[in-house]
Amino acid sequence: MSLPEYAELHCLSNFSFQRGASSADELFRRAHEQGYQALAITDECTLAGIVRAWQAAREHGVRLIVGSEVQVQDGPRLVLLVENLTGYQSLCALITRARRRAEKGEYRLLAEDLQAHCAGLLALWIADDPGDPESGRWLQTLFPDRLWLAVHLHRGSDDASRLQRLRVLAGQLAIRAVACGDVHMHVRGRRALQDCMTAIRQHCTVAEAGGYLYPNGERHLRSREQLAELHPGDLLAETLVIAERCRFELSELKYQYPRELVPEGHSPASWLRRLCEQRLAIRWPQGASAEVYQTLEGELALIEELGYESYFLTVYDIVDFARRQNILCQGRGSAANSVVCFVLGITELDPMTHRLLFERFLSRERNEPPDIDVDFEHDRREEVIQYVFRRYGRHRAALTAVVSTYHAAGAVRDVARVLGLPSDQVDALAKCCGRWSDRIPDAQRLAEAGFEAQSPSLRRILVLAGELIGFPRHLSQHPGGFVISEQPLDQLVPVENAAMPERTVIQWDKDDLDMVGLLKVDVLALGMLSALRRCFDLLRVHRGRELTLASIPQEDPATYAMISRAETMGVFQIESRAQMAMLPRLQPRTFYDLVIEVAIVRPGPIQGDMVHPYLRRRLKQEPVTYPSEKLKAVFERTLGVPLFQEQVMELAMVAADYTPGEADQLRRSMAAWKRHGGLEPHRVRLLEGMLRNGYELAFAERIFEQIKGFGSYGFPESHAASFALLCYASSWLKCHEPAIFTCALINSWPMGFYSPDQLLQEARRQGIEVRPVDVVHSLWDCTLEPQGNGALAIRLGLRQVRGFGEDDARRLEQARAQQPWRDVEDLCLRASLDSRARARLADAGALRALARDRHQARWKVAAVQAQLPLFAGVESAPESEVSLPAPSVAEDLFADYATLGTTLGPHPLTLLRSRLRALGCRSSRELDGLSHGDSVAVAGIVVGRQRPQTASGVTFVTLEDEFGMLNVVVWRDLAERQRRALVGSQLLKVSGRLEQENGVRHLIARRLEDVSGLLRGLDVRSRDFH
Amino acid sequence: MLWACILLPQLALDTVQRGRDDADSPLVLLGGPTQRRVLQAVNAAAADLGLRAGQTLAAARALADGFTCVEADPARIDEVQQLLAAWAYRFSAQVSLHYPRALLLEVGSSLQLFGPWSSFEARLRTELQGLGLRHRIVLASNPVAARMLANGHDGLALTCAEQTRAALANMPLDRVGLPADAAQAFSRMGLRRLGEVMALPRAALAKRFAAPVQLHLDQLFGQRALGLDFYQPPDRFESRLELNFDVESHQALLFPLRRLINDLAAFLAGRDCGVQRFDLHLEHAEGPDTVLKVGLLAAEREAAMLFELARGRLEPLRIPAPVRNLRLLADDLPPFVPQHRALFDPRAQQAQPWEQLRERLRARLGDEAVKGLRAEADHRPEHAWQASEQGAAGSLAVAPGSRPGWLLAQALALPEGGLQWLGQAERIESGWWDGGDVRRDYYRIETREGLRGWAYRDLAQPGPLWLQGWFA
Repeated sequence: MSLPEYAELHCLSNFSFQRGASSADELFRRAHEQGYQALAITDECTLAGIVRAWQAAREHGVRLIVGSEVQVQDGPRLVLLVENLTGYQSLCALITRARRRAEKGEYRLLAEDLQAHCAGLLALWIADDPGDPESGRWLQTLFPDRLWLAVHLHRGSDDASRLQRLRVLAGQLAIRAVACGDVHMHVRGRRALQDCMTAIRQHCTVAEAGGYLYPNGERHLRSREQLAELHPGDLLAETLVIAERCRFELSELKYQYPRELVPEGHSPASWLRRLCEQRLAIRWPQGASAEVYQTLEGELALIEELGYESYFLTVYDIVDFARRQNILCQGRGSAANSVVCFVLGITELDPMTHRLLFERFLSRERNEPPDIDVDFEHDRREEVIQYVFRRYGRHRAALTAVVSTYHAAGAVRDVARVLGLPSDQVDALAKCCGRWSDRIPDAQRLAEAGFEAQSPSLRRILVLAGELIGFPRHLSQHPGGFVISEQPLDQLVPVENAAMPERTVIQWDKDDLDMVGLLKVDVLALGMLSALRRCFDLLRVHRGRELTLASIPQEDPATYAMISRAETMGVFQIESRAQMAMLPRLQPRTFYDLVIEVAIVRPGPIQGDMVHPYLRRRLKQEPVTYPSEKLKAVFERTLGVPLFQEQVMELAMVAADYTPGEADQLRRSMAAWKRHGGLEPHRVRLLEGMLRNGYELAFAERIFEQIKGFGSYGFPESHAASFALLCYASSWLKCHEPAIFTCALINSWPMGFYSPDQLLQEARRQGIEVRPVDVVHSLWDCTLEPQGNGALAIRLGLRQVRGFGEDDARRLEQARAQQPWRDVEDLCLRASLDSRARARLADAGALRALARDRHQARWKVAAVQAQLPLFAGVESAPESEVSLPAPSVAEDLFADYATLGTTLGPHPLTLLRSRLRALGCRSSRELDGLSHGDSVAVAGIVVGRQRPQTASGVTFVTLEDEFGMLNVVVWRDLAERQRRALVGSQLLKVSGRLEQENGVRHLIARRLEDVSGLLRGLDVRSRDFH
Repeated sequence: MLWACILLPQLALDTVQRGRDDADSPLVLLGGPTQRRVLQAVNAAAADLGLRAGQTLAAARALADGFTCVEADPARIDEVQQLLAAWAYRFSAQVSLHYPRALLLEVGSSLQLFGPWSSFEARLRTELQGLGLRHRIVLASNPVAARMLANGHDGLALTCAEQTRAALANMPLDRVGLPADAAQAFSRMGLRRLGEVMALPRAALAKRFAAPVQLHLDQLFGQRALGLDFYQPPDRFESRLELNFDVESHQALLFPLRRLINDLAAFLAGRDCGVQRFDLHLEHAEGPDTVLKVGLLAAEREAAMLFELARGRLEPLRIPAPVRNLRLLADDLPPFVPQHRALFDPRAQQAQPWEQLRERLRARLGDEAVKGLRAEADHRPEHAWQASEQGAAGSLAVAPGSRPGWLLAQALALPEGGLQWLGQAERIESGWWDGGDVRRDYYRIETREGLRGWAYRDLAQPGPLWLQGWFA
């Protein structure tokens, strides 16, 4: 007997979170193996996984039916299948309604939703046992000729009689019954994982999950033999009838760009051209060169050919809004390769002078929308987001989703928990995985943590966790990725609520959008842009000078000299310890040096071993050679060492005959090989191509290894260049206007690597006067006060007072503007400060002008009582002065740190210096007189501890004393031996060997000693500040 | 009045430590939510490793290895506190657990009985030491002062208000039990010692601080009294009869049993309560006691009935060794509510409520012989079907009548000859998580004799048909 044909109409993928235990790819592969005619993916009230299912369907050659399983509130459970485009739109609208009504991650589908949106949908009714004919009749009115009764047979305790009852029910309603599998996994072997997911969903252990678990593993894609054994033939045949009716394809979706961006009488192409022509003069006031025109023409032609004009117009519109609102922004990433983007003001860097690669941005072969990411000021990005929502309406603009997937730690954690491991062991096990790893920890790692990898229970956990890794967990919102469309979005894709109020998210992520051809704009946030805008504002006020990113004086030698001395605290990108260590060696002298500096201190080049060859060549310690004249053109700017993704692409084109589009494929594989593999075909192709073109095998292989080391960490040159621009701008400001720069940074904090305390100390070391917080002078933000000699002093703002709110500060500013303060009581009452806010000001010393010291201030504010209206204007009875102890220097110091996070008095180590000298410690300034290799002891406050992944177990400790900072290198074995001093010290004494080379200095620790006791000993009376 | 405060600074730790013999190895107590485990207390050895109370477990692990973690158990600490209060009750009728980790005793009236304070104190310390509890003891003229002075002192004995006041003046402000915000405010005003605050004008203080602060200060100085709840010993009955000779027969135990029961009944009557459960300990010359648990459906206090019940449980008991003493313990003493019977009791003469029948069956056949059945939510039939003390319903969706009511203790291999298969297979695949995974197809079968059974074939391991149970 030949096997009956079958189409599975009820199947969940792992996008039915905590239910489906197989990916779409696994499901379709299995369906193909079993010879299914079609496979419906019917994830519960979601289409989040449908694009992936579509991909898998095409890959394995089994037709996808789009559908969804839904539970109607107080009503029946259904599988809805999409018959045609109308049905797809109904389903999107239906899911959107049900999701928007509920909390994030949940849904509430009402009967009326189904009534409103049932066109084009087929329904399989999953009746209860016994089924209620009443619901059946209601469904029949909604789905005339489109309703079936679903029959699930899973070898339960009374399949035969149940089938009988269902037949009777179908007969009563005169509808047909159809077999379907309620599939939760592709093979029986996923039973254990499916049980685990059930337990995760129910927040219990598997052993406790009992009746929530399925009694057996039948809910998989069963072989047609088995199906035939269990089901009457007509039920199976009916699946084909239904499958035949469902002919909708996702490729039918037609996305339309928003139209309002093009004025009457213009096409998108002509309007884009017009804008470019208009704006050309802004970029090149003296007239653009022929080369510019030629490049622009080329780009416009390609954009027109691919039909992406509206995309550029959309991004331009957003950037233009920001510019009108004086919000600083800059396109990052590969968009910097485009003249069109530069001309439109989306990017700030002239691609003509930096010979960037347009194919990296847009290519014919790739045929996918370009990706323009724009950074906006961190503080003001919300204004941009709200503008987009306003301009296009909430029904046409939404944020894209990010699919959070299980990493190893999360998978191990969830599985171990449902298998009943005690919580501390769950933690310990999860810790073995590392943070972002996607691999199950190996036996050795587990043994180190005290786990026996061979024990059956642990093996179960690891195997199941391994299956779970990579599974989607939940949808979250992309920080700024927008989808905008001409028609309402919920006709294209369901929209749901985000965790943040007033935000809506579509159910697809970036990759899904690419597949379906939807437009996405990334509205990102960058703290440095806020700081730079504040700098420009302060420059205008205090110096009367108008500067922009583009008009900052270029190639300024003083700025480069400062950078080369590694005096870059607070500067964009090159302020980290690793960057600072590189600067004196690299000695940047031109803008392009900065581009290299930004790109070279990255895990990619470090792992690809590109740093040292580059440095040796730059320092002329080894000759610069090129394997061929053609490659010289590619690698000349980086002295023959590949540093950028673009260079790898060019190399492939020049040396191995790749087309630009293929080269871009190579780049993508490079980024993804660690996760997905797939670099091998390129290896073969690259090596063959290079051999053919006369390169040596050894060279070709070395290049390939470097590409691998690059992995996903290599920077595109265009991205490095955009960042270098901000890096140069911030450096120039730091060099020429340090007070303005510091003030702007602190007002933009939190951002960057350093605390306001560190930034202020640096400023004071540079000779900038810093004035204390004072209710008579301070605003919320830090401000600048002219000193008479042209210099500016920084006045600390009320924002520095810990626990003091901005609202309080604004009221205070207003009340003071009306009339200066008479006394403490006047301040508290007129600024309506509650007792908490008053106490914060008093403790911070901000009342210095109105009370003698902190202690008196606190005593005074405590007495202020809200005035009853009846007694308004009546002076309260004067109180006699009480004598309170005045704070000591050390008490003030501790109070400063506790309330402001910084002190303007002496640095704590100044107070301790004589005692430290007695312990044999030198100050960081005294190290200047020493030479490489000297033994020395220092002590400092520990301001940073870092153990970078790339540094094989080395811990970098940053110590601070009254003269500056010192980097200490602690090797792994010392760190193990003196872990307590390393981790537990506030004030650390380090003995070791000094290393100084090329202006980079650090101390190799030999011995650590916790001397925090000295700090506490400074003032025995104040136990309450730590 | 004179008040002693016994402060137990390490109570939580001592509670754990006194049950262990490794006082010198590092030990920490853990508390807090699972996401953020925090060290609640550390012993000296752990402190030497750099561990401190308040650290997160993660931070502690980063600092050191090889320390033992014990979960803090508030219930256990509570028990120890109750025990201590009972202990202290011997020395004073006014014992209070008002402050956690501390005992307050009014000792003024106890001094006559327990000698001068110095020897009284010495006795307290010896006994506390014997209990394995570290402590500090302070005597002062009022309970609040005694408690707070114990924060900074040990062995201080202040017998008048004047001395107490002087000692308090010297206390740091953050150690005298002030609300945290007030203590912080004082310190931010530059004030460090209680005396400095007391030197300030009272009106100025009142203007600045909420009323509870002033109240607490007044109580510290004995100007206002703190209302204390005093410890009451628990309601329980315990009595022991020494038999003076070894008894080996049930008969000989009945007489002393009757005496104990009579005492119990008298006690119950006096307290106007009943007993729901009591334990009868048969103490042997050596070896553990034989314990007889007697439970009742409702609280009773009638001696004859209690005796009958106890006797019913005693008689079937096999006594493993001669009995030397009898002890009766009753903790569960709920109020007694006499039963009202309708004038014409509708129940048939012989009918008994199920619970009473069960009690009688158990009394006659032994606890082991009478079992309840409980349905456990587990798809594996042998796990789902559980014998238990009490019957209980579980929930598992299976068709009614598809499972036999009684399962065999062990499945039996069943010869297939002459069997008739009824209906389709039911497939059960479950239980992988505890190593007891089953994969079976179950069938209803009927033997030639007409017996209906439930049998399975093992899908993982081909073999005979296994009989799991019979349908009634």
